[in-house]
Amino acid sequence: MDNTYDISTPLIAAQHQPALLFDHLHSLDVDASAVLGARSWQQPLSPAQYLALLRQTAAHLHSPDTSFMVGQQALPGHYGAASHALLRAPTLRHALALLVAHPARLSPLLAPHFVEEEQHAVLYWTDACGAGSLRPFLVEMQMSAVAALCQWLAGARLPWRFCFNRTAPRHTEQHQVHLGTRLQFGCQIDAMLIAPEWLDRPWGGAPRAASAAVFDGLVAQAHDEEPRQSLLGALYRYLLERVRLAPGLEQTAQHFGISPATLKRRLLAHGTHFQAELDQVRAHVALQLYQCRGCDNEQVARHLGFNDAANFRRSFKRWTGLTPSSLRDSLAPPLIV
Amino acid sequence: MPVSNRLILLAFISLSCLELLLFSSFGVLKPAEQWKPLDIAGEGGTALMATCWMAIVLGSRPAGRVTLLLALGLASVALGAWADGLDEFFTVTSALRFDKWLESALTPLGMLLVTAGIVAWRSEQLQLSEHMQRRERLFREHRAFDRITQLADAHYLRQQMALERAAGQPGSLVLLELTGFQDLQRAHGKREADRMLQAVTHQLLLNLRNHDLLCRYAGERLAVLLPDTPVVAAERVARHLQQMVDLTHFHTGDGEARVSLRLQSACAELDDEPDAVLARLNRELEGAAAQAGAALAA
Repeated sequence: MDNTYDISTPLIAAQHQPALLFDHLHSLDVDASAVLGARSWQQPLSPAQYLALLRQTAAHLHSPDTSFMVGQQALPGHYGAASHALLRAPTLRHALALLVAHPARLSPLLAPHFVEEEQHAVLYWTDACGAGSLRPFLVEMQMSAVAALCQWLAGARLPWRFCFNRTAPRHTEQHQVHLGTRLQFGCQIDAMLIAPEWLDRPWGGAPRAASAAVFDGLVAQAHDEEPRQSLLGALYRYLLERVRLAPGLEQTAQHFGISPATLKRRLLAHGTHFQAELDQVRAHVALQLYQCRGCDNEQVARHLGFNDAANFRRSFKRWTGLTPSSLRDSLAPPLIV
Repeated sequence: MPVSNRLILLAFISLSCLELLLFSSFGVLKPAEQWKPLDIAGEGGTALMATCWMAIVLGSRPAGRVTLLLALGLASVALGAWADGLDEFFTVTSALRFDKWLESALTPLGMLLVTAGIVAWRSEQLQLSEHMQRRERLFREHRAFDRITQLADAHYLRQQMALERAAGQPGSLVLLELTGFQDLQRAHGKREADRMLQAVTHQLLLNLRNHDLLCRYAGERLAVLLPDTPVVAAERVARHLQQMVDLTHFHTGDGEARVSLRLQSACAELDDEPDAVLARLNRELEGAAAQAGAALAA
């Protein structure tokens, strides 16, 4: 069983996301082939190659709005059935489910995840292919892609809140204009939040939704076209489902049908290792328990299978660089508003 | 480098070779002890420098009258100095005495041409300054312009707001949003959306005073800094700009579609830190858009 892709898997058709970069450069009267090199449109690119193209584009234009402008064009995109389905999604819930289910086509470099809590629905991203220093760029790109898609389908901007796993930039005009003024930096997660009542509202924009049968057909077709997930995305999901059991490397490798050595090697190729991935999942779960359910240290420690709160505090510091209490202070006002 | 600039460079190289040919065929090489190193360095250096300047002018400027004058002038100076330099190596025996002619005619002619070029350049600069006035206000510094609108960016806007505030003048700021920009981008592509933004920019510039400053804040939001203007007057300006843009139609490049434009605005006095004023105006615009969206949904 191996329906995961790696940083070096030839995955992204050149006429999909990479073509957007060429279009963006062309629209600015920049000779795209000179910046990105001549490219065969037949051969698919690996995530590593696509990352390199993004890096070159960002460096050449050296403009703070590149990530946002490219992002705005990225969804629904022209990526086959997944794009068609996205365009015909009857509600936000359907659209987000599609995004999460078809990352290889719709968001190959960042794995999207979705959770729904009582007070808000959260769409968040984790690294899928070892983006390194380009990560803030990718996050801005994906967030503006989703925000612009929703704005288009809904006919008006939706009241998203945005959390960034980075320190605040000195000025945020690009974020304010392209995303909105509800921004929060220094969070431990890159997430977009919205009140759950928006999930099932029919879109207010021009009617595009297809009948249920047509939509289901498109979803099935999208799955046939590209069922793969990134290794890191699939691993995140696996660990998230079993976070209370603290699964080990061997057990996980077995689940993915590969040897522990292979799993280690593949993780290393993405600049990460098993423990770091597990820590990230646990940090996100702790964050969710604190922020969405209002749990205290004791409860979070118990949930994650720690025997005592002091031990948990130490571990949490290792995962995030912050103690639980300083995290809560730094996120004030908390995500529950 | 434009083709005509390349031709000038080519002609220059041919002429300097021709000079060398003239001297070597009609002159006799002086013995090495008669060479004067100081003269050779001085005249050769002049020729080399003038050549450099010409190459820089040709390489960095578009083809045109100013470029032509400057390049021809510098080429003459360089050729004059080159002839002067060659004179140090060759004794010309020809009765024509072309070496004296080359030396004493080319250099003054070159100076004349360069002078004419600089005068023409000045008037070009004046026109450019007029063009840039409402785009950059108060002082010019080396900075990046927005590629699409040629306007200054948010960074420059904040600097100017801080200056205005430090000067203690009650200026105002108007933040404008071009609604429908994203829909146009979806329907007709980014290039058309950028063309629309350019068109609106021109229209706004025509309706502002010389000391007002129009900036591209980010994306489809533009900012107008109105120095020495109370907020009531700024609101009037904003209303006027809004009405004007609302009456405008934008025609897509293929002539197929006619798009009507809408401008949203928010005004504030410069009574706080630039970032604080801008954040307030952004929230105001967002609130207005949310209300419009709610009205649309209802």
